[in-house]
Amino acid sequence: MELDECLERLYKAQLLPEVTVRALCFKLKEMLVKESNVIHIQTPVTVVGDMHGQFHDMLEIFQIGGPVPDTNYLFLGDYVDRGLYSVETIMLLIVLKLRYPSRIHLLRGNHESRQITQSYGFYTECLNKYGGNSRVWQYLTDIFDYLVLCCIIDDEIFCVHGGLSPNVQTIDQIKIIDRFREIPHDGAMADLVWSDPEENNNPTLDHPDNSGQHFQVSPRGAGYTFGRSVVEKFLRMNDMNRIYRAHQLCNEGYQIYFDGLVTTVWSAPNYCYRCGNKASILELYSKDQFYFNVFEEAPENKLLKENSMNDNALEDSISNPVANRKLIADYFEDDSASADGSTDPEMYIFSDVYQARSASNRHVDYFL
Amino acid sequence: MSKRNTPPLRSSGINTIQINAAREMHAQTVRARRMPMPTSGITTPSVQPTAAPATPPRHICNNPNNPQCLHCGSVIIPSPRATLPLEDNPSISINDWTISSRKKPILNSQELDIWENEKLKGLTLPEMIFGNNYIRIENSKQHWSIEFNALDALKEVQLQDSGIRVAYSNDWINSKKRQNSTNGAQRFTNDVNDDSLNIIHKYDWTYTTRYKGTESSPESKFRLDNDQKLPLDKLAVHDKILFYDDMILFEDELADNGISILNVKIRVMNERLLLLSRFFLRVDDVLVRVYDTRIYVEFDENVVIRESKEFEGKYQDVLAKHRLSQSHDPKAALRDSNWVAQNTPMIKRQCEIIQF
Repeated sequence: MELDECLERLYKAQLLPEVTVRALCFKLKEMLVKESNVIHIQTPVTVVGDMHGQFHDMLEIFQIGGPVPDTNYLFLGDYVDRGLYSVETIMLLIVLKLRYPSRIHLLRGNHESRQITQSYGFYTECLNKYGGNSRVWQYLTDIFDYLVLCCIIDDEIFCVHGGLSPNVQTIDQIKIIDRFREIPHDGAMADLVWSDPEENNNPTLDHPDNSGQHFQVSPRGAGYTFGRSVVEKFLRMNDMNRIYRAHQLCNEGYQIYFDGLVTTVWSAPNYCYRCGNKASILELYSKDQFYFNVFEEAPENKLLKENSMNDNALEDSISNPVANRKLIADYFEDDSASADGSTDPEMYIFSDVYQARSASNRHVDYFL
Repeated sequence: MSKRNTPPLRSSGINTIQINAAREMHAQTVRARRMPMPTSGITTPSVQPTAAPATPPRHICNNPNNPQCLHCGSVIIPSPRATLPLEDNPSISINDWTISSRKKPILNSQELDIWENEKLKGLTLPEMIFGNNYIRIENSKQHWSIEFNALDALKEVQLQDSGIRVAYSNDWINSKKRQNSTNGAQRFTNDVNDDSLNIIHKYDWTYTTRYKGTESSPESKFRLDNDQKLPLDKLAVHDKILFYDDMILFEDELADNGISILNVKIRVMNERLLLLSRFFLRVDDVLVRVYDTRIYVEFDENVVIRESKEFEGKYQDVLAKHRLSQSHDPKAALRDSNWVAQNTPMIKRQCEIIQF
């Protein structure tokens, strides 16, 4: 199957056959194995944060940011889990990478892992969409091992999914990591995809020497938070001026730390289809000119939300891709019907008739 | 995160929020314009209830956006959030009782700053706080109400170490200590020393809360009575649900090490209501915990029963029960708090009652 044909199907949220998925993953593996752990790219580029399987929101990103290959993209990881369309999301990105290898770049996030995807939904979604076996999940988690870890833009901007590591002082130390493996629990590779910045403007009695600006252990007992001083040190040693990362939900789409030395980009609007948060993509025009393009959820997701008010219904939706597709088709059919000029008073969503009908369709649960 | 300032946006590019808002407003206007046009051949089907109601409906719908209940023919569920700044606070009244609810998105940065620095000082806030959500059950005659909201639930979270660690914590800490020993001679190059391996933040990162609702009276009117039981036989009957809502108060993904979520839902029938507030905690490969609080109200007898149950078990013990079912996807069940509650030992139960 040709790549352009794959793209055509994927843009319509149609699944590719299992044999095609296998072939595409094999091809991408061949391509990625030659890439360094650290890739270097130039502006202009648009940086995208976590997607978490929200496929229609990713299409919305290509709408507002411009389609590939007209726009260069850098994705910071976490393509799967939690959303309803992780398979479609990662497959579209894989085919775009194969078709336009120098226009789109994919970093690895902490969810690109076998252990995490079994607990957070991607494994379940693969089983449900590919006939109850886990082969597609295996192909995709194998390709996750080949994704690159970091990206440097214009030799001055460091991009990574999570953050810094006490085991990484220089970029060369990242280049020698053996990345072709499952993400370990500790070490530099783990820290790069798991660590979080922590702002501490109020030195307290706990650490009056401002040690909060260094690496601290998370209260969960593993993993680091990093403070301003280690960021400044890392940037100084590597002659860079700032860091972009993802990994954490931002209610307005992005979050700035340490006066702009570190910025989180978050690109999943209305996260988990219920948070109501905004999302953003970072449009880098040059190393000094950039714009956070903030947006909300794609219209398709609003329709889904109305028919799936809670988690149980969402799980049912995953089990019924046919019903989902019919839902989307109905949505666009209504639009085309409107375009035909036919009048339908029930389309007015606040009319009593529409509300009565949709109310009877909404989920209620005789919970005990 | 004590600093959440949003800098002024640079002027390059188009702000798509405005585009989307304009898009929605235009679509709504076009649809509204079509409403009054007469159409031949289309008639509204007359509503024919299956049976005349034995008693006239006693409830009052207080819903600006929801359809009026016609012979109890519709379930009242809050409308989709309006694109205009129209407030939608659906509520229903039966006798002296009024039940109301509100659902909004998670707190924005300004709201989070206030909660972090004033209302919940000392607690690192969970990632998703639906701070404007609530469900309230009110009796106007008795001047009493009970409400479930996120702020009061989070006030019950302890500001001290829970002692719980993620599954790989021991291995992780020991690995770091070995590295420190190896690098002892080069300590000046290492940003981590032995002091840094001690956990400094003092709060319960699992956000465990035994929240049972907020009463309007300064002293609780509930009286302990563990012999009381919820009348499950009445609740099992599928009486028509007149009001239903289901919402999350807060949620945190524990940095992808599990989930901590407080969910509240309520269903109101003609003679009674049931509210379930459920705190669900899963620390992957460590433990699962479910704390349930149920509120039962019998409208005619003016009885309120509050039952609390605590379930807790080791992750592997609970997972083993699902493995027995030969499932291909055992961990999916641990995302379902209903399944977890049914397969986890109950460690505590308490029942309280109010008889007005």
